[in-house]
Order: sequence, then C-alpha cells, then structure tokens
Amino acid sequence: MVEPVVALIAIGVAGSNTLMATTTRSNPLKRFFIGKPIATSEDGHQRLPKKVALPVFASDAISSTTYATEEILIVFMSLAGAGVAAYSRLVPISILVILLLIIVVSSYRQTIFAYPNGGGSYVVSRENLGRIPSLVAGGSMLVDYILTVAVSIAAGVAAIVSAFNGLEPHRVTLCVGFIALVTLANLRGLKESGALFAPPTYLYIVMLFILIGYGLFRVFVQDLGPIPHEDTFSQELLGGNNSITLFFFLKAFSSGAVALTGIEAVADGVPAFKKPEPRNASTTLIIMACILGSSFFGLSILAQHLQPLKDEEGHIADTVLAQLAEQVYGGRNIMFFLTQFATFAILILAANTAYADFPRLSSIIAKDNYLPRQFMNRGDRLVFSNGVIFLGLASSLLVIAFGGIVNALIPLYAVGVFTGFTLSQFGMLVHHRKHKRPGWVPRAVMSGFGAATTALVAGIVVVVKFTDGAWIPAVVIPTLVLSFIAVNKHYSRVRGFLAPTEGYSAPFRTHTVVVLVGSVNQGVLQAVRYAQSLRPDRVIALSVIQSPTDRAQLDADWEKYNIGIELDTVVSEYRDLTEPILNRINELDDELNDDIITVIIPEFVTSLRSQWLHNQSALAIKARLLFRPNTVVTSVPIVIP
Amino acid sequence: MGLKNVLKSASMGVREMDAERLTDRFIALGLQPLSELEPRFKAKVCGEVKRMSIKPRAGIPSMEIVINDGSGEATVVFSGRRHVAGIEHGHCIIVDGVPHSDGKHLVFLNPAYTLLPMGEE
Repeated sequence: MVEPVVALIAIGVAGSNTLMATTTRSNPLKRFFIGKPIATSEDGHQRLPKKVALPVFASDAISSTTYATEEILIVFMSLAGAGVAAYSRLVPISILVILLLIIVVSSYRQTIFAYPNGGGSYVVSRENLGRIPSLVAGGSMLVDYILTVAVSIAAGVAAIVSAFNGLEPHRVTLCVGFIALVTLANLRGLKESGALFAPPTYLYIVMLFILIGYGLFRVFVQDLGPIPHEDTFSQELLGGNNSITLFFFLKAFSSGAVALTGIEAVADGVPAFKKPEPRNASTTLIIMACILGSSFFGLSILAQHLQPLKDEEGHIADTVLAQLAEQVYGGRNIMFFLTQFATFAILILAANTAYADFPRLSSIIAKDNYLPRQFMNRGDRLVFSNGVIFLGLASSLLVIAFGGIVNALIPLYAVGVFTGFTLSQFGMLVHHRKHKRPGWVPRAVMSGFGAATTALVAGIVVVVKFTDGAWIPAVVIPTLVLSFIAVNKHYSRVRGFLAPTEGYSAPFRTHTVVVLVGSVNQGVLQAVRYAQSLRPDRVIALSVIQSPTDRAQLDADWEKYNIGIELDTVVSEYRDLTEPILNRINELDDELNDDIITVIIPEFVTSLRSQWLHNQSALAIKARLLFRPNTVVTSVPIVIP
Repeated sequence: MGLKNVLKSASMGVREMDAERLTDRFIALGLQPLSELEPRFKAKVCGEVKRMSIKPRAGIPSMEIVINDGSGEATVVFSGRRHVAGIEHGHCIIVDGVPHSDGKHLVFLNPAYTLLPMGEE
C-alpha cells in the first residue's frame, strides 16, 4: 500500500508548478502530505551546538557499527569458509579499520579548518584538482548517498526482522515502506532538526556501550560462553577449516572499512555549527571518531568471544548485533528489544542524513551546470524536492534489486566512499602546497598519506569485490561523470548560442499572424480580435475543411459576423489536420525572409474531467510547432464554467 | 503493385504523393505544366484547387485560389467577388490568361477559365 502513496506524492510535487498555475487554490492532497508552504524569507539558518550537531552529523557514521562487524564475519565464515578461526581475525581487522579511521579523521580535521564554508569532496576537489576529479568525487558521493539510504534502511529493517522474526518475508516491502516514509518526511522539510535526531542517536550510543560493557563484564567476570548453534547449517559454517588467504583478509578488511562511511558529513556541514564553527566541528568530529572507533573495537572483541553467526544469503535472519544482545542479556527481554529499536532508529536517521546531503550536493552540481537544473528547484518546504524524490526512487530500486539484503549492497558501498575520501584528501594536499601557510608541510604529508591509504583501500575494494558487485559503481561512476560532462556541454552550448553578439538585433521585421479556425464561434471571434490587437503586418484565418459545404458555411459566417480578415481554406487530401496547416505555415514563412509567425489557437478550457474531450488536434499542432523556428504559438482560452 | 512501389510510397512524403497523383491526373490534357509558366506570356494551364482565400479588402472582396498540377503552383485572383460558382476545393479548372509575377508567385488576374467536370480527366 505504500508505493502508490509515494507515486501520488511524486506527482503532487513534480506537477505542482503546472497545477498551481491554473488554480490559485492549493492542492489539498499535497497540503496534507507535504504541509503548508514556507516562504523563502523564512529560510533561517539554524546553528547547532555541539551536543546537537553530534547526533545530526554522526548518526550516519556511528550507525555503520551496526553492520560493519557482521560484514567482516560474513566474509570469513561464509565466503572463506574459515570456521571458528574467523573469530580470532575480527580484532586485527578492526584495529586496521580504526587506524584507517584515525588517518581519515585527521585529514578531515584539516579540511574543516581550510573550508569553513563546508568542504565536501566535490567542493574540495573542484577548488584544487580541477574539473574531472571534482566530477568523479561528485559522482561518487551521489552514488554513495543513494547507497547510504539503501544500506541503512536495509540494515534498519534487518534489526526489526531480528526482533520480530515473523516479518522476514516482508523484508523488501518494509524497506520500501520506510524509504517512502523518510522521503515523505524530507519533502515536508524535516531537514536536520536536532530535536528529532538527538534522542535516538544518544539512545543507540548508550545502548551500544551498555551492551559492550555488560557483555565484556559477563564474558570476563561471569564466564559467559559462546552462543550455542545447534542447527546443521550453523554447524556447517562453524565447521569450515579453510585457511584464510590474503585475498579474503583484504576482502574482510574492505567490508569492515564501511564503518568509515559517513564521517565526511561533519566536514560538509561546518557552516551549521555554532561559532567558532571550525573548532566546534573539529571537536565533534573527534568525539564521533572516538565513539565510532571504541564501539567498533568493543563489538569485535565481544563477537570474538560470543561467536555469533551470519551467512551471506540471509539464511540466518538475526543480525550479529541482535545475536550478541540476546546472549548478553540472556534472552529476548526489554534490553534486547530496546537495543534493536535503538539500532533501527539510528539507521533510519542515517538514511535521513543522506536525504540532507544528496539534494544539497546535487543542487551544487546542478548550479555548476553538470546536472539538470531541476535539481536546483526548491519545493514548497524549501527543500530540494527533486533531489529528495530522485534519492527515494533510486534507493528503493536498489533495495528491490538486491532483495533488501545488507550484505549484497555492501560491496557497492565502499567504492564511492573511498573514492570521495581519496579525492578530498588529495585536494587538501594540493591546497596546502598552493597556499603554503606556516606549518603546511606536516599537514600536507598527513593529507598525502591519507589520500594514498584511502586510494589503496578503494583499489582493494574494487579488486577483491569486483565480482560481488563492486563493478557496479566502477561502471556507474564513470558513466555519471560522462553524463555530467554531456549535460554541461549542452548547457554551455545553449548559453554560447544565446549570448548576444556585438550589435545584435532581433532578426525579424514583419509579423504574420495565423488564426486557426474550425468553425465560427465565440472562441474564434475572440481569437480574431486578439490577432488584430497584435497589429501584425498580415493576419490570416486558416481553416482545414472537409467539404465544399464547410467552406460555404464558413464563408457565410465570415460575412455574417463581419470578420475583417482574410480567410484561407485548404482541403486535407488525406484527412490529416496537422499536415496542411504546417504546409501553409511553411509557405507563408517562405514568402518573407525576415518574418515571424504567430499561430493563434482558440482553445476551450473546461474542467479537468472533460478537458480531454477537447483540443486534441490543437495539442498535436502545438507539439509539431514547438520545434519550428520563428514560430510563436498562442492559445486564446475560452473558459467554459 | 510490386514490392518496389510499396517501398517507394512508404518513403515518400504526403506532398510528393499528392504531386504524383496530380501529374497522373493532368498529363492527358497536354497543357503547359505550371513549372514552365513564365510571367507576361500567354499561357493555358490547368490545376486542382488547393487553397481558397477570401480577402475582404475595403468592402471590395476578392477571391484567390491556388491551383496545383503536380509540377507547380499558380495563384488565380477573381476580384470583386466572394465566390465563383463551381470553384471548390479539389475541383479542376483550366485557366487561360497572362500571369504576372507577384513576389514569389505567378498570379493570373481575372483570367478566362473552364471548369472541368469532377471525376473525369
């Protein structure tokens, strides 16, 4: 039931301009779902204190702890078939990921200070690296935001499904439903309101630390043993004894690296912080990194001792986090459900972050003429509605295509993120070299090291996961870049064509007006009067007739109503209406070289219900004339109440 | 009708098809084709009425018709009247007179004319 609603909303928003033009009354359906419009002048910029900024910007990054450990485990257990040996590799991998986190965070701290107006990968590479790298960064980040929504929602639904196993068959429906809800909320302009973000994010952080703390206490003090796995499928997974090759180790590492997704959000949103912005943003970034790093590390240790299980195809419905919580809290009690709920909530918020970032980035790219201008349009509620709708649709499609399985989406995810990181840091390296502020050398080295590391990770992800789906972004991002360039080429061509040259004057001097006439009625009389009011050099009424009686009738009416303009009648040999009209217009156009032709079409406007009964041929004529040079088409409406 | 013709008619525009139809229709009369018409030389031409215009010029109307024989077009003006009996769309007439040139068109002003019966060549 959710999908049709989404479609309705999309129509409501997309069609708003045309609908609103004809009626001053607002569309009640749209009002109900979207809310009442906000004036542009009310676009106050809300400054966030650190304690609110943390949940707003960190939800995306911190939420990746809900699936990162699980993804590492899947690679070892299910793909490599390593069995119990997998658990001993969790901690080394998580240490590597945390090292990576430290590198990336230190690099982003510099970005924050260098670009206090918000330095996303796109902006930083645009300023420092030039066109193509910035487009690659922009394309990667756009792809990444779509995947953030898809992955977060899929993981959020996985948390729900783990708590209520009966929902398993409805996984995809739930995913699409939640995407629809988040899209709708964002069309209403929910933006990054702190009041909404803070409680679930803090709840999740608290629940996570309780889980880790209490879990470790139970493991080390109370000697809590591993989760018992009785069924044959689990035994099979645990029984694997393949040795872990470098390939699988790297694969597991690249899965774990998804924990880093979302940390660029702080650098993007520096202007949203309270003054002094860079300092507050940088502190927030570090707090976030500490929470992310410590919880990820803690979960890895916990998982090593409790040995949760997960396979790649989703035969085991419960998430690793759910299995851990169930074991630590000794069953499905209030703490278990609270953990699951908090997980779900933070994942929905993580998806919501992408809803703030994607439309903003796409509007910046559109402003630079690399994306269709429609992405710049702000809707009733001051959000970039088209970007929001596009994001909702794209992520829904992804979720449907991959069956709502987080694991299937992960290989697609990391490529874009790390491409973005690399370009952003490389951009910072160039930035430092260019400006040479005091003490730039160590900073440049830091950025360069970060760029090299993240480039390496991006390379590893593409190589080791190419067949699992990493080829999709590897194809999509270049395609996106090419289409950005194509769009830009078009816009530049149009702009170059339109720019007036020195001493330009409009190329037409004479004006011919053609009034299209069926039979004489009020509409035609009004159209003729209108045509005369234009004071053209020549005005002609043109009628396509079927038989001599038509012509005689028209002629008689012409005399009766004393219509003082020339009446041309042509017969359509082949019953087609548009062809003779176009031929006649061509002839008229040929007669003079400096002519502009206005075609006036009297049209009846009735209610929406019966409008389709009228003007079908007028529509066809208009469609044909749209692409004709030097031709103006005017409708003279007769409103029939 | 062979395959060749089918292909030919499929690739032809409506105007070319119509021109071919008109040429076939008038070839038997053996008159001067409109494409060879020259201003200020007496000519006898024929064509199908393609367009009729009534110009209500300052109370003295005139009727203009455009005839087409498949090779070209000419304008025929009958001044002082709104309608000439027997001249209708799709009818064929033979025009006998001296055309003058008006812009890109050749115009016969009040020529002698013969109505051709419908449905006969």
